[in-house]
Amino acid sequence: MRPDFFKRGFFDGGGSIAAVVAPVLIVLVAFPLLFVLLQAVFPDIALGSFADPFGRFVETLSDPRLVRWTLNTLMLGVCVVVGAFVVAVPLGILRGLFRVPGGGFWDLVFLVPFTIPPYIAALGWIMTLQPRGYLEQVSGVNAGAFLFSFQGVVFVMTLNVFPVVYFAVSRMVATIGGRYVEAARVAGSTPVRAFWRITLPLSTPAIAASLLLVFAMAIEEFGTPAALAARSGFLVLVTGIERHLSDYPIDLPSASLLSTILVLMAMTAFIIQHRVVSRRDFRTISGKPGAQDLLPLGVWRIPVVILFAVVGLLGAVTPVAAVMLTASTRTISGGLAVDNFSTVHFAEIFANSGGAMEALGTSLGLGVAAALITGLLGTLTAYVVVRQRHLGARILDFLTMIPNTIPGIVVAVGLILAWTQPWLPATPYNGIGILVLAYCCLLLPYPVRYANAALRQIGPSLEDAARVSGARHITVFFRILTPLILPSVIAAMLLVFAVAARELVATILLAPLGTKTVALFIWRQFEQGSVGLGMAMSAMAIAITMTIPIAVAIWTRKRGQMF
Amino acid sequence: MAAFGVSQRFGTNTVLKSVDIDVAPGEVVALLGPSGCGKTTLLRLLAGLTRPSAGRICIGDQVVADAATHQFLPPEKRSIGMVFQDYALWPHMSVAENIAFPLEMRKVARAERNARVKEALKLVGLDHLADRQPGTLSGGQQQRVALARAIVPRPSLILFDEPLSNLDRELRESLVVDIAALLRQLGMTGIYVTHDHGEAFAIADRVAVLRDGNILQIATPENLVQNPASVAVAEFLKLGLVLPATVEGGDLVVRNGQQRLRPPAQFANGSRSGDLFVPRSALSPAGQNGGTLSGTAVRSMFRGDGYSVQMRLDADTSIELFSPLRVDDGKAMGLDIAWDRAFWFPHGEAAPQHSNTTSS
Amino acid sequence: MKRIGTFLLAGLAGFGLAGAAQAQNVTVYTAGPANLIDSLASGFKDETGITVDVFQATTGKVMARLEAEAGNPVADILISASWDTATDFAAQGKLLDYNSANAANVPDFLKGPGYVAQGISALAIAWNPNSGTPRPADWSDLTDEAYRDLVTMPDPSQSGSAYELVAALTTQNDLGWTLFDALAANDMIVPGANAQALNPVLQGAKGVVFGAVDYISLGQAAKGETIEVIFPASGTVIAPRPMMILKSSKNQDAAKKFIDYVLSDKGQAMVAATYLMPARSDVAADRALISDLKILSVDPASDRAATLARFNKIFGIE
Repeated sequence: MRPDFFKRGFFDGGGSIAAVVAPVLIVLVAFPLLFVLLQAVFPDIALGSFADPFGRFVETLSDPRLVRWTLNTLMLGVCVVVGAFVVAVPLGILRGLFRVPGGGFWDLVFLVPFTIPPYIAALGWIMTLQPRGYLEQVSGVNAGAFLFSFQGVVFVMTLNVFPVVYFAVSRMVATIGGRYVEAARVAGSTPVRAFWRITLPLSTPAIAASLLLVFAMAIEEFGTPAALAARSGFLVLVTGIERHLSDYPIDLPSASLLSTILVLMAMTAFIIQHRVVSRRDFRTISGKPGAQDLLPLGVWRIPVVILFAVVGLLGAVTPVAAVMLTASTRTISGGLAVDNFSTVHFAEIFANSGGAMEALGTSLGLGVAAALITGLLGTLTAYVVVRQRHLGARILDFLTMIPNTIPGIVVAVGLILAWTQPWLPATPYNGIGILVLAYCCLLLPYPVRYANAALRQIGPSLEDAARVSGARHITVFFRILTPLILPSVIAAMLLVFAVAARELVATILLAPLGTKTVALFIWRQFEQGSVGLGMAMSAMAIAITMTIPIAVAIWTRKRGQMF
Repeated sequence: MAAFGVSQRFGTNTVLKSVDIDVAPGEVVALLGPSGCGKTTLLRLLAGLTRPSAGRICIGDQVVADAATHQFLPPEKRSIGMVFQDYALWPHMSVAENIAFPLEMRKVARAERNARVKEALKLVGLDHLADRQPGTLSGGQQQRVALARAIVPRPSLILFDEPLSNLDRELRESLVVDIAALLRQLGMTGIYVTHDHGEAFAIADRVAVLRDGNILQIATPENLVQNPASVAVAEFLKLGLVLPATVEGGDLVVRNGQQRLRPPAQFANGSRSGDLFVPRSALSPAGQNGGTLSGTAVRSMFRGDGYSVQMRLDADTSIELFSPLRVDDGKAMGLDIAWDRAFWFPHGEAAPQHSNTTSS
Repeated sequence: MKRIGTFLLAGLAGFGLAGAAQAQNVTVYTAGPANLIDSLASGFKDETGITVDVFQATTGKVMARLEAEAGNPVADILISASWDTATDFAAQGKLLDYNSANAANVPDFLKGPGYVAQGISALAIAWNPNSGTPRPADWSDLTDEAYRDLVTMPDPSQSGSAYELVAALTTQNDLGWTLFDALAANDMIVPGANAQALNPVLQGAKGVVFGAVDYISLGQAAKGETIEVIFPASGTVIAPRPMMILKSSKNQDAAKKFIDYVLSDKGQAMVAATYLMPARSDVAADRALISDLKILSVDPASDRAATLARFNKIFGIE
């Protein structure tokens, strides 16, 4: 492998880009993850000691509950993937192919679930559906039995993550265009058959890539299953990891070890995805550009709008409404009584209670920084991965995937272990830089997956033509490829921004001394039972987080590009 | 431009087998062959989009690729223009931006760039479309934009990768004439890949016929038609009738149908088997019962100045002939061979046996 | 864009600054409540000019960070919500033996070599009077049919004080595991940490928290939530919150001053303001104090893992 890796593949052609990307990824991702692995093997690695290797293996792995937790995790991951597929793929294809009334508006609506932290969304659903929740206060019925069950977890998590699939699929389908479907219709296929035989297979790379992300997110998510299904006895691997990390005495090695099970699970999913995608490499942006007109919906206009509205109502409106109601009622126990409505919580935020404004500023800055860095890095990585088909590129590809499969808290532990190593000449630890590093590490998978799927669509002749015109690799990348995949990358960067601006789990551990972020602020209010104040902050954060996507949407529309 | 012993392997699959080709400055050479013959591979090697597994390629005095010394000049440094089968226009740039791109890469100043883009657009007759997006143009217009983009930097070599295969026939015929005229006008060296011999003959000074990764023959179009180097060339160019036959006592026994032909003495010249090639011009319809070869008319199509007759020979092969008169479908007909213009390609030997050297 | 640029610069600068501890700083790793450490820090800064760098999270997260940083320790002072932390760290020799002069009025059972309580919380029954349930007086009342499916309890695996309560109750003959069996039979749920147990009771989905952390509920009641804190007649456990100076501290003098400040009249008043019981017996508070409560003791030899395993089995959360 060595001569090939170094001589031909890596530094030849796109290799100049690989030469830039590889070291950055190694520092950003491989370095902390290496320490997760080391911690799993060497219990005392935090002290720099390699004593007692595999000391915790037997005890941790012989836990009789481990098999059940693993199976539960797998079941949860698969069910959320299926749920996201069922919800997002039809919506994405409709949006990408047809003139859906209010198209750009729905994009913004479906971005909302992403700006709501999962723990807030879960809490919002609890407060809405539990007995005497908002739904019962308004309509007299409650869905507590449904919510606090495995089905409830899948329902809530699907609504949290389906936008990942929706955006990937709608972008992909829009670039494919309707001509293939029209060809199928002309060839005698019904619309339904055309969907199954043409559109769906053509969108496979985007669907597979985004479902992989969904799977990874589902198996590492802690808050939602813990809040909703733990009481019905449904525990997952992350529960075990969380216990090792919160239950005294703290057991970092066992937590790291259980995390590696998650990584193995994700690796399997990654390999399956890779098989699926590499067998279906469709080049649908050829050098023969054609006007891509959206198809009319005809009589289906109303049903389609209703479908979008229902998903929007469940995914975005309901949790936001729960957040707003809680934020604007003085007390929870007072319920939705008229005299209980009050702006007291918002007033407290504006009075800068507990550094609320500072927290908002810090979070927005972190979100922007993470989005810019991961956008650039992710696009470069995807380019290397798509154009260079050797083992080194495959390793890079997987490297950008792992952080998504490890619970944020374990990644945080890895970052601490790595960046507090005494031999390091300089360290971002205990500076705001460590949060930037953490978010970039955790969120790099989005731009990589999105850009990867988009790049696979671009016919190689577009690149060849530029090379022959005298452009170097790097010029081809920035002048030809980047503009073509920009819609996808911007979508991914918006997701990164939305998530980074509200990330909690890694932030709790990594926050530099005295640093306040939105998520930390909210979480501290919740810890003290001040749910209203926490929710008021959430509402503000959601509103402010949404302004950037809205601005981007307006900007791209002005430039005549598709958002 | 010259290539010496160039071959290309992908894994165990050898796509190009030790090809030699030499193109003089100002000359246009067509690479003609069926799909999968290696012609596009050869073109990509010349462009620098792939590296040869063996052999050496020179453009002008410069060695641009040499597998033996690992010397390799990337495409952007080769000063070439290229027109792609799928046009490869960048959808996010306007027509003018597409054409200006190669100049921009060569750091041509803006004022000169604009002037040259205008000039190139005028040359391809699209000066009114400069600000349009490529997606809004017709296929023919897109290919003209691609052509303008290829010629605008005045490259020393311009490569065409089946540029017209996505267009309809009429457009193809008019564009091929335009391209040929443009290349002559600009005095550019060109290499033109196609599977359509009409195109190749129309545009090229010389045509190289490729099959299975080998160049079968390089010659002027006229020479190629009148004097094909092998039965494969004759077959690929559909120059006439090809009949495998064995020699029995000076007679040729056609392999399918066992029809016995009597060529002039010395025609087969001692060989035991081979292929009889009769150019279309050496075949003439001979009425219902006469003729050297017998067969059936399958279909007649009116072509304005006569009929194109599809004939099925008893020797289990078909040929299309010109006939001034209509032949009814299904009617038996015979063919006469003008033996002095027929070729004999003995098996196992490269050189053809020509019946009468004076005729060529 | 300018803002972003500034921010990025600040981020890059952060790379270089890390670890440059200055003499006039003290770093405190603390469990909640957040507003308490915020007011202590600003009061301390006003009085001494020393800046307090705070890392605040749950006890579990604080411990995880300490553990991961072990090779390169940052914290000077640790304030935990679990007394075990202090006794363990003392036993491991990780603590600086410091006895603050202000600790004189802290009862002996709330201090040890190198550690002293900051404040004390107790576990209680938190009852929503609007829930339509009778007002409970003791733990065992909650096994009554009137409370079926209306009781929550913080998860003892996630809340140190909830574990203490389980450990204390299960050493009692008349209470013990039979109580928990009966509570499970009465459909009590164990939804998560303290906040997750309280929330459904505030909204009325449930009626009572079994083992609520008292100061949180008292604070919410003060803010107008309909919640009443009831200390059970048969007794409850207290959770003193130990403060300690780590031996690895490079700012030991400043750290000592901070401990002194927390135990000063001012500091203890701040503790009382968050509805925690002050550690000093001579500081008044607007709530029930240790002397008003019947305190259950926990057998230090109790087997934590076994207790949790049995509890989890009863409530089906294994």
